[in-house]
Amino acid sequence: MPETPTPPPEEQDPVTSNSYSAIYLISSILLILTLFWALYDEVYGLRPWKSYQRKFVSLYLSNLKKLKPREKGAEEEIRKTEGYQELDRAYKAAELEATPKVKDIDRQVGLIDDRATALTDTFQTARSEVSAKIYEIEHASTRSRPSLEKELEEIKRGPFKVELPLLDGSEKKERVSYTFEELEKEFDRLKGLKADLLATRLEVLKQANDFHKKRDQYLEERMIGLTEQQVGSLISKMEAFNVEIKQINVPEYGIVDRCESCHVGIREPLVLEARELGGMRAFTSHPDRELLKIHNPDRFGCTPCHNGNGRATISAEKAHGQNEHWLWPMYASKNADAGCVQCHLNDIVLDHADTLNYARQMYWERGCMGCHRYEGYDKEPEQLLAVNQTLRSLEGQKKENQKEIAALEKDSENAATNEEARQLLAKAQEIPMKISLLDAQMEQLDMQSKSLLREQKKIGPNLKDVRLKLKKEWIPVWLEQPTAFRPTTKMPNFRLSQEQRQAIAAFIWQSGTEASVSKQPPGDAQNGKELFEIRGCQACHSLGEGNERMGGTFAANLSRVGEKANYDYLVRWIHNPRERTLPYCPFEKKEITAADYAKHGLPFVFDPDHAKCPNDGHELQVQQTTVMPNLRLSWKEAQDIASYLVTERHTNASYPPAAFMDDPGLKAKGVQYVKFYGCASCHEIAGLEEEGRIGTELTKEGSKPIDNFDFALLARKAKNEGWYTGKGFIEHKLQQPEIYDTGMVKSPLEKLRMPNPHLDDQQRSAITTFLIGSVDSSWPNDLFYNPSGQARDIQEGWWIVRKYNCMGCHQVRLSQRSVLMDLPRYQNPDWREQLPPRLVGEGARVNPRWLEQFLANPALNTTETDRNGVRPYLKARMPTFFFSPDEIRKLVRFFMALSTQAEPYIPQRLEALSSQETQMARELFTSKAAPCLKCHATGETTHDKTATAPNFLLAKDRLKPNWTGRWIADPAVISPGTSMPSNLFKLQGGRYVFSGPLPDLFKSYDKDQIALLVRYMFELSPEEQRRLLSRR
Amino acid sequence: MDWQQLWEIASTPDNIPIVALLFLVPFYTWYAFRQARANDQLIGALEGSPELAKTHHRKTLPFKPEWPREVHVWPYLLRIEFLAAIIVTVILMIWSITLNAPLEEPANPNFTMNPAKAPWYFLGLQEMLVYFDPWMAGVVLPSLILVGLAAIPYMDENPLGAGYYTLKQRKWSIAAFCFGFLVLWLTMIFIGTFIRGPGWMWFWPGQTWDHSRVVFEVNRDLPDLFFITSAWGKGILGAIVMAVYYGLAGLLVHKIITLNEFNRKIFKRMSLLQYLTLQFFLIMMMLLPLKIFIRHAFRIKYIWITPWFNI
Repeated sequence: MPETPTPPPEEQDPVTSNSYSAIYLISSILLILTLFWALYDEVYGLRPWKSYQRKFVSLYLSNLKKLKPREKGAEEEIRKTEGYQELDRAYKAAELEATPKVKDIDRQVGLIDDRATALTDTFQTARSEVSAKIYEIEHASTRSRPSLEKELEEIKRGPFKVELPLLDGSEKKERVSYTFEELEKEFDRLKGLKADLLATRLEVLKQANDFHKKRDQYLEERMIGLTEQQVGSLISKMEAFNVEIKQINVPEYGIVDRCESCHVGIREPLVLEARELGGMRAFTSHPDRELLKIHNPDRFGCTPCHNGNGRATISAEKAHGQNEHWLWPMYASKNADAGCVQCHLNDIVLDHADTLNYARQMYWERGCMGCHRYEGYDKEPEQLLAVNQTLRSLEGQKKENQKEIAALEKDSENAATNEEARQLLAKAQEIPMKISLLDAQMEQLDMQSKSLLREQKKIGPNLKDVRLKLKKEWIPVWLEQPTAFRPTTKMPNFRLSQEQRQAIAAFIWQSGTEASVSKQPPGDAQNGKELFEIRGCQACHSLGEGNERMGGTFAANLSRVGEKANYDYLVRWIHNPRERTLPYCPFEKKEITAADYAKHGLPFVFDPDHAKCPNDGHELQVQQTTVMPNLRLSWKEAQDIASYLVTERHTNASYPPAAFMDDPGLKAKGVQYVKFYGCASCHEIAGLEEEGRIGTELTKEGSKPIDNFDFALLARKAKNEGWYTGKGFIEHKLQQPEIYDTGMVKSPLEKLRMPNPHLDDQQRSAITTFLIGSVDSSWPNDLFYNPSGQARDIQEGWWIVRKYNCMGCHQVRLSQRSVLMDLPRYQNPDWREQLPPRLVGEGARVNPRWLEQFLANPALNTTETDRNGVRPYLKARMPTFFFSPDEIRKLVRFFMALSTQAEPYIPQRLEALSSQETQMARELFTSKAAPCLKCHATGETTHDKTATAPNFLLAKDRLKPNWTGRWIADPAVISPGTSMPSNLFKLQGGRYVFSGPLPDLFKSYDKDQIALLVRYMFELSPEEQRRLLSRR
Repeated sequence: MDWQQLWEIASTPDNIPIVALLFLVPFYTWYAFRQARANDQLIGALEGSPELAKTHHRKTLPFKPEWPREVHVWPYLLRIEFLAAIIVTVILMIWSITLNAPLEEPANPNFTMNPAKAPWYFLGLQEMLVYFDPWMAGVVLPSLILVGLAAIPYMDENPLGAGYYTLKQRKWSIAAFCFGFLVLWLTMIFIGTFIRGPGWMWFWPGQTWDHSRVVFEVNRDLPDLFFITSAWGKGILGAIVMAVYYGLAGLLVHKIITLNEFNRKIFKRMSLLQYLTLQFFLIMMMLLPLKIFIRHAFRIKYIWITPWFNI
């Protein structure tokens, strides 16, 4: 600019003279660097699975290559065996025989192919032109159709000139000119010729192929692990491995799981362990292959069971859903069973889910369901309530109806016309029918109520009987801390103040029934000890403290029972635990006393057969609500056992006097506390029979949003320590239920009331697993396990088997051990025979109709009940459980379903024996080599003293003939360790023949001898058996 | 002091802009003020010197009398803008690589998150909901803010302030901006981000956000203090109070507008429409701090209650 003088250089205008090159350079470099960073992030940073896959391939390949020689040796061995060589030879011979024919066919096929190839091009061009024209015609207007059709005719007319090789193999070619139809015909003819030839070829090779398949199958069946070929194919699969996202996509359920992008080895046929694969736990194969077979990942995906975020691929944390805000974080491996719960809602026993089974049983056994409702548990009280409500409303309806009759009759008298009067009368006459329908309905409901009353159980003892049963001073001591008296008790520890304890004790004591139990003479404690051990008490109960504890955990440990219990009551209890002091009427909601009966002139008798309320005719609760069954012991035995049990005590224990327990003032306070702490959830308490549950329902606990868990003042701490999750909440709550009261200012009745269930780590973890898995599932219903038919029978049956602890004495399924099996006494071979029968395959063994009767009355006798119905020789006693008809039905169906028996059972008709056959069978039956009656009971006292097997007379009603045949053939297969000898019969030319010496009679008999014996058994009469016994 | 929680709030990807705001806004405000002041001083010096006063000169620093009177946009402005574009691109790239979108769990209609916060730029509006009813805070006041911002140049027409940073010639606009944006708007965003915790309760920075916190904060309306229960009574009392407020605040604004020579000069140049618009916006703007004050000091929620709106 000319008018301004040039400034001296040091004072130049910074706006125009400043250089920005350095800053430009630096920022440009930064920009380029960030660009590279972005590219790296795009290719590797956000795709960690790429490096996972590469690493897996290299580790797995080196592993497979090491494996190969080892497998190869084993395979060579098998290849050398005679069986393999034979098949191999046959294969080769068959192949050789077929070769000339195959060669000829192949030649012909080659010629056809040549001719077809020459034709194809022209034909396909013509065809596409024709098809296009046809399409045009179809979519053309009626006006332009005729001209188009003419064009089509022209195209079809051709002519199409082709040069085709001849089929005679002379390599000559013919020139032909075809129309389109001819072209098509020729093409189809060639196709047909070729298909015929190929079919013939397959036919010719069939034999060779069959042998080839058989040979390979032979190898496969005998190889443990993988064949060389399989390993080879794995190696080539890995060598051709494509690094890409591996995804399971199940469109119908919206499952998209990319877990296998990193867990590449999860479905490999080899068992892969982390230490073989460079310590990478991500590369191991699935630990439960069987489970994966049932739940094929291609159908179920991964995340429906494991949770996590199946779509995420950018980091392990995200894929496992462990980032904040992901609602379904993956279950930890020790909680893996949690994934089962959402679909298997109704299974109390589930294969492959031991933790869950343990937890579900505990949820019931520990009485969790008393306070916390959980779908499926303890349904009876709710159903009973509903039934009673319906009953009440029906009764009201009935009264209304009766009133209506009178009203209608009156209206008809005042009716204006005859017609109207007739209609009203007709209506009035219809009402009695309505009433009778109501009666029928009420009768059904009464029966249902009867069933439900019998099924309804409480976890804790009936506290109405405290005055008869307990030492008064013991109660407050027990309440203070139940585990101090009995460390393994199911009763949890409540946090009670001295005042609360006294009030509760006073209330319980004063609300107890005032009655007396009949005095019992003392028994023989020594014999009692023996009886306690052999009758099967220990299947549920244990004795001994600490490490000396022995017996089942299902019921109470009886070690200090002598300190608390009244002897007379104990005798009554052992004689029949279901015996109630007073019946309870759920309709009137009160105990029915002798006075009530007297008022209606009825005898004071109540038992399952006399269960109608004298006041209103409704069903009474006539039994104790315990699951403990009646062992049908004699009074003498009961006295002996009770005398033994009262010696179980700490001699130095002392209980301070508790006069306050008779203070009526305390009682009023006590009822408030008893209600507050929900005692009536587990115990039957006078006046509180219909108390509701006091805790939260837990059926959907796992879906509760985290903010709905009340961490109170610990929220911050939990976040910092990393347990601000549903799982963390539950675990801490179970460990220390009052933990969320920490630092809170609360009055006594505002405090958290959940008692401490004193669980060990394993138990706590199991319950947590169960609860976090209890979610409101968002998966479609058809993924859930809602079986029908026999699968459902099994599902329902397990609830009853678990409820009554059948598995304490019996083996119900394979690889399950009963409690008795592991007791020291039954380790001795003589005593092992005394174990209760295994019930694996019970459904195949017995007639379901008979099983029904047996379950209702295991003595199989109405008068003589102090015995086992089937196995009188067993010291352990099959008790009477007083099952409801519904429970019996379910149990029978359960056993039938476990053995996949058809329902209903139609007995197999057995052919009657001819007199000669009878004689032969009798010979077998009494043969010197295997005299059946030596071991089997007969009902005759002196003989039965040494008997160790059931009476044959039961067989006809009890057993299924087919099973009996299989049993005789090889009993050890059905029940290992049975005293019934195996190998009595041997297989000879497709039929069973007696292994011992055979009398001449059998010379001409060519039928199965076991079948003969079975038919004889099923015909056996008491007289015949007596006769044979005396002949012996 | 719950440092960890403070760090959690400050480091949430959502809140990064607000934390940046805490430093950037004061810095640029200071920077702009410095430039404006220097410019004003320069102009003062130029006007004070008789020989320079007559020449054409640039009005902004840096300045030397002999330097070019004007510089071209290209390359002198554009090179700086381009450099800024590069640096911003680098920052945005790094930001987008390192911080992912702060997604949360899928929306659940059965379960409301607590605290439920608007995006950071709307937190001021959300905070306003505490002091006004939704109709006022959500619709009327935001519209007024937008219109008011747009109206500033039409109310402050001083031609001497055009084209450079100046404090002297733009006192009105700058004061309105500082109060309306920096004090009210940013403060409210800050409160919404750092102070408001679960239940929209007031937590001082460093105080633990406790979901179950219980505070004594029973609100009442102004008519309740006078035991007025009828709807008419409430409406009339509120209208009277508001009218009084308008009168007093209008007087106050007028006093400020005519406070000194410069103000009076501006006032003289204003048309009636300009004057009334200015009055209206300033009165409305002052309503907000006033309501914040009576809410926190006297637990008074609404002054004027009508079936249609509350103030």
